[in-house]
Amino acid sequence: MNIDRSQEMKFIQSSVAMTVTLCSFAMLFATMFLGYFLVRSSVSVWPPVEIQGMPQGLPFLSTLAIVLSSVSYYFFEHKTGGKKVNFVLTIVLGISFLISQWLLWAALKESGILVSDGMVPSMVYAFTWLHAAHIAAAVFLLLWLGFYVFVRTEKLSPLKVINVGKFWHFLGVVWILMYLLIFVL
Amino acid sequence: MAFVEQHIHDAPTSFWSKYICSYDHKVIGKQFLWFGIFFLLVGGLMAVMIRWTLAFPGQPFPVIGQLMFPHTGGVVPPDTYAMLFTMHGTIMIFYAITPILIGAFGNFCIPLMIGARDMIFPTLNMLSFWFNMASGILLLGSLCLPLGAAAGGWTSYPTLSTTLGQQGLGQTMWTIALFLLGVSSTMGAVNYITTIITLRAPGMGYFKMPLTVWGLWLTSILNAIFIPVLGAGLLLLTCDRIFGTTFFLAGAAATSGKGDPILFQHVFWIFGHPEVYILILPAWGIVSDLLSFFARKPAFGYKMTALSLSAITVLSTVVYGHHMYTTQMSPLLTQSFMTLTMLISIPSAIFFANWLGTLWKGSIRFTSPMLFSLGVVFVFGLGGLTGLYLASTSIDLYLHDTYFVVGHFHYTMAASVLLGGFAGIYFWMPKMFGRSMNECLAKIHFWTTMIPLNGIFTGMMIMGYAGMHRRLYNPFIYDFMHKLMPMNTFVTWCAIAMGLAQSFFLYNFFKTIFFSKNKPLASANPWEVGTLEWEIPSPAPHYNFKEIPVVKCGPHEFGNPNLKTGRDFQYQTEELVEVK
Repeated sequence: MNIDRSQEMKFIQSSVAMTVTLCSFAMLFATMFLGYFLVRSSVSVWPPVEIQGMPQGLPFLSTLAIVLSSVSYYFFEHKTGGKKVNFVLTIVLGISFLISQWLLWAALKESGILVSDGMVPSMVYAFTWLHAAHIAAAVFLLLWLGFYVFVRTEKLSPLKVINVGKFWHFLGVVWILMYLLIFVL
Repeated sequence: MAFVEQHIHDAPTSFWSKYICSYDHKVIGKQFLWFGIFFLLVGGLMAVMIRWTLAFPGQPFPVIGQLMFPHTGGVVPPDTYAMLFTMHGTIMIFYAITPILIGAFGNFCIPLMIGARDMIFPTLNMLSFWFNMASGILLLGSLCLPLGAAAGGWTSYPTLSTTLGQQGLGQTMWTIALFLLGVSSTMGAVNYITTIITLRAPGMGYFKMPLTVWGLWLTSILNAIFIPVLGAGLLLLTCDRIFGTTFFLAGAAATSGKGDPILFQHVFWIFGHPEVYILILPAWGIVSDLLSFFARKPAFGYKMTALSLSAITVLSTVVYGHHMYTTQMSPLLTQSFMTLTMLISIPSAIFFANWLGTLWKGSIRFTSPMLFSLGVVFVFGLGGLTGLYLASTSIDLYLHDTYFVVGHFHYTMAASVLLGGFAGIYFWMPKMFGRSMNECLAKIHFWTTMIPLNGIFTGMMIMGYAGMHRRLYNPFIYDFMHKLMPMNTFVTWCAIAMGLAQSFFLYNFFKTIFFSKNKPLASANPWEVGTLEWEIPSPAPHYNFKEIPVVKCGPHEFGNPNLKTGRDFQYQTEELVEVK
């Protein structure tokens, strides 16, 4: 995306602010990861009996959705052609991620893994709730950005696109870490 | 970094835009100040009630006791006592000190001292205040609940803070209120950090910034990093209380599964120890500046002071374990945390020595801001030294959870910060509200605060050393505590005296703001100092600077014999006169 010289300083200011903001969000999730490591280190056998039979397909679908959404947003940010399609695809995939999370919670419940079953199930639920809440907020941000992409196109500034993108990609990275640590390793 | 000049925005005209939903950093700073002073009074009243209960167990609290506790004949009941010390700590730390030192001075001083017209994100700034307000209302609202407000201590350790420890909505509202406050603080931190990095006036390098700005900047960095850690802990606690998760329930407390109450302690203190520095760094910054301003000397070792503050900021992030020595931590870890904690005394000693160096052979002007700054030097010295005892594992095992700890952290977090806050209020009053406060009353306020303050906190440390536990409703049911009764009574009378002494401040403050309209406005620079805010009229106009200043020298250029201006100081916009 081209940024003219007059916006350069605004870009720097915005980058500093966004970096600090993402550091704060990173610390929030880092604390959750710390909790997860402490919980995991206290369990002698992994996975513990409380979460055995946890569904594997839905978390994989969630991962696929969020990775593809990040890729489509990247194309929206950087490619000149097919911009709006990529943007719409990001929103659709983002909503798909939320639906897959909803289905995951339902599947967990169906498998008899309840939030009150102990620390490990509590952690799985709370971690995914927290992340999904951020994804929901990010989807609202995308919809807000959509207003400028489709309606007030003259007011669409590159800074808005870049900052929403940073937040979206950040949440994608957090999910990948969550997926690997909670559902794969 | 290239400089970008902010536009001058139109002056707000309506009451709403001027005082309620203002984007102006100065107004927002004042909003935080009012907010903080209100909560300071609420928290202070709670402190007196706590002290009354300890000194005169079973006796009704005077005047308002009958009204507040009719079912016990005016005596503070035990459950209310637990609620009082919980809310006192929470209110003083998060709703009094934080808004005054960070919210008020941060908002008011940062743009003025770095030569900017406003914060970089004025709307975010306004939102930060209103989130703070919503949080305060929620917390105060919890006092009206049928089962009362939170009562698990300001640390809210599980299982005291889980539904097993406390039924009802009080603790839940406490948790949500603090989460909202965290959102507000994070917004403020993003704004402060970005403003300082990107909006400094041309010529103002980092080592030309006043130390007040350094303190606020470092505080903001800690805020941005560690407030979310508390946020995560609060979210998990909320999940335990509302959604049935079992993070912090263990042993017989757990109805199913198995949790770990110590996990909350880790999360709380990873945030909680930096929080001590979050509160005190702005006060240190303010005092470092004021000592130089009123000693009429350049700040001794300015760069080393700034670097020491930075070193303390970094070290503060890796010492949290010293709050948890008694949790059966591995000896290897306790020794590591002890060593790291002791290391903090090195940069602390450096800037403390720099303070003394600044005062040495200075032409000291004993104005009210200077008196309060000297008060900070004294009480921080005591608070810092007593911290070394608690840092040592073997001594802490004995002193843990005693009144020694209470005395220590009040000396550092309460006394230092409170006195630093008063120093700042007296100092920036002319720039904030256009008129200086009465100096005679201010000095009376200082002495009537300073003397009982030391009586309170030294007394607490003596009682703690004698073994008095910090959270007992009536310690005198134990025989060995009887000898401490006179000391408890002394501390309580000191607390009452200190509480009454604040009426000098309140009278002076309100009179200056509301009942001095017929008096002339203060001059632009009544204290004769050279930082940027003193080059513009008092009170500061809404746009701050008509022309963005160009900074040419540091903030503490005093006592240069080669100055030909008839002043003993230089403004930061003046070319530095060489000392030959």
